[in-house]
Amino acid sequence: MTTITSSPSVQAASRKPASNRVLAVLRLHFVNIPTIFLWPLAILVTIWLVNLAIWWLVDINVSAPTDLAEARDGFGWTGAATFIFVYMMVVAIQAMSLTFPFALGYGVTRRDFYLGSVVAFILMSLVWTVVLTAFAVLEENSGGWGLGGRMFTGYLFGAGEWYQRSFVYLVGMLFFFFVGSAIATVWLRWKASGVTVFFIILTALLVALAALVTVTRTWPAVGDWFATTGYYGVVAWSLIPAVIAAVAGYFILQRSTPKNS
Amino acid sequence: MDDSRPIFLQIAEQIENDILGGSLAEETQVPSTNEFAAYYRINPATAGKGVNLLVDDGILYKKRGIGMFVAEGSRARIVAKRRDQFHTEFLLPLVAEAAKLGITQAQLAEMITLSPITTAAPATAASTTEEKLA
Amino acid sequence: MSAVIEVSGLTKRFGKFTAIDDVTLTVERNQICGLLGRNGAGKTTLMQLLTGQDFPTAGSISVLGGNPVENASVLGNVCFIKESQRYPEDFQPKHVLKSAPWFFPNWDAEFAARLVDDFRLPTNRRIKKLSRGQLSAVGVIVGLASRAPLTFFDEPYLGLDAVARQIFYDRLLEDYSEHPRTVILSTHLIDEVSDLLEHVIVIDEGRILIDKSADEVRGSATTVSGTRAAVEQFTASREIMHRDGIGGLASVTVGPLSAEERQSATAAGLELSPVSLQQLIVRKTKVSSTEFEQSA
Repeated sequence: MTTITSSPSVQAASRKPASNRVLAVLRLHFVNIPTIFLWPLAILVTIWLVNLAIWWLVDINVSAPTDLAEARDGFGWTGAATFIFVYMMVVAIQAMSLTFPFALGYGVTRRDFYLGSVVAFILMSLVWTVVLTAFAVLEENSGGWGLGGRMFTGYLFGAGEWYQRSFVYLVGMLFFFFVGSAIATVWLRWKASGVTVFFIILTALLVALAALVTVTRTWPAVGDWFATTGYYGVVAWSLIPAVIAAVAGYFILQRSTPKNS
Repeated sequence: MDDSRPIFLQIAEQIENDILGGSLAEETQVPSTNEFAAYYRINPATAGKGVNLLVDDGILYKKRGIGMFVAEGSRARIVAKRRDQFHTEFLLPLVAEAAKLGITQAQLAEMITLSPITTAAPATAASTTEEKLA
Repeated sequence: MSAVIEVSGLTKRFGKFTAIDDVTLTVERNQICGLLGRNGAGKTTLMQLLTGQDFPTAGSISVLGGNPVENASVLGNVCFIKESQRYPEDFQPKHVLKSAPWFFPNWDAEFAARLVDDFRLPTNRRIKKLSRGQLSAVGVIVGLASRAPLTFFDEPYLGLDAVARQIFYDRLLEDYSEHPRTVILSTHLIDEVSDLLEHVIVIDEGRILIDKSADEVRGSATTVSGTRAAVEQFTASREIMHRDGIGGLASVTVGPLSAEERQSATAAGLELSPVSLQQLIVRKTKVSSTEFEQSA
């Protein structure tokens, strides 16, 4: 009647290669698909439907062609699609503030968690780029859903080719993910006072920069630069803060603890 | 399990009681350490200590690959040990309490002879007590 | 028996407050070890340091042979379950049960399923909407089914009612018997767990008060009661842990008594009573026993 006893293998966990651990974190981010994908998609679709209704109302109430053209041009200034970018920023913030302490309990190192999260954010950016591009292509080819509507092809995304628009989606996503998560790591490390200080410093820097430009009377040069770089060029430059945020986030997280706030 | 003595001693005693009482016959298998631990809700290491104590005393022995068994002659050994302990554990407290209450030796002896003792050999039990009291 | 945790001169300060004060201790492999102490004594801080979740101010820590901070080969063998565990947004228990195996190579899904039944945990309800007991059950299930070679339970069963706690103790004991590993339980429900423990560590205000085997601690005190004179005479030359009395009666707690000493005490008309682990620890940390009982 003796029972066979076996100690849990210590070797098994020690042998796990780094790639497996990072993969495990990646899977952890995606374990609850409804919250990170299905719900935002549903809301995006809802916003689109609401916009459709508005465009349709305009369409049936405005008869004069010039007025209609003007109105439709106005549609181009919509920021409706920005919702999805903000939502993803929230996802990134929650990944740091909630998933991080949780993952630590699973015996994950900060390094593996951050790397897994970076991969997760890049993947999600790619997925949304595809989704938004699909909507945009449909929008363009259907003449704005037959109503001149412009939610995915608005001026927000530039006036270029479809792949240039996709580039904006991608960079936008990456920017919001990494800046969002970096701010969350600031909060994790230094709590609310840390975040406040961060924004004060950021504002101070921007104000100082603007002051510098004003004092040296180089605003025209700045304007020229924007003109020559073009809309898509400027968007490309915003990859730099995204990368800085990604790298900074790693180092800030290295000394963060999951203290209960 | 109470707090007065180490738990492993209590486990050992409990097993001895079962052997004495006949519920664990000689050359039969006793439950495993894990089973004792689960039943008494104690740490298996503690249960193991109690079992090992009995192995050291020659009350139990281990059959490799099968388990723990009650050793031959263990009942007799337990009886002998308990008889030795009977004096300090039961008799002295009895006498002390009797003294507290002012019961004389004669009264005590009478009480003992009059009370029903359900042992296998009542004559031997009574005579041993009388010997010790004298 | 090799040591699974070795700590030397460990100190942790939060600004001016010293949470852990020059702690040196060892935990042997494959034992159930109790980490006991008052609220705020430093139990959680110590566990966070041991799991690399927080960083020491001074001193050294070795867990499973290495420094736990950012050490994947060590941490992969560790499971840390806290009482106030927070979960990712909109998580349900089923997400926890699905993801845990990716991190714990020894995870036993069948065992987890049985525990879900035992604790009557609704796996499809959002964790935010679970009762306190169910929330605690999630943590307890992960801690048990992970079969991590080193498992820390930081009072995760406070939300469990007495029946559920008993289930936890029983399952822990059962599983520990079949799959021995090192388990560190922190609690202030000392009497409930005292029989489960093999080793006892008591921490008070960041310092270690007791670090001994449970058997040693259990036998280390006796209460002697009787008339004042008799008690005083008997306990005259001994170390006194606690004095109590009413009227002409006194009751004094002293160290362990040998068999002869017990006999002479009884002969002197004194009564000897045992001191439970909880009472002992309460006396040593010098608080009233009500604080411990209130947490039950």
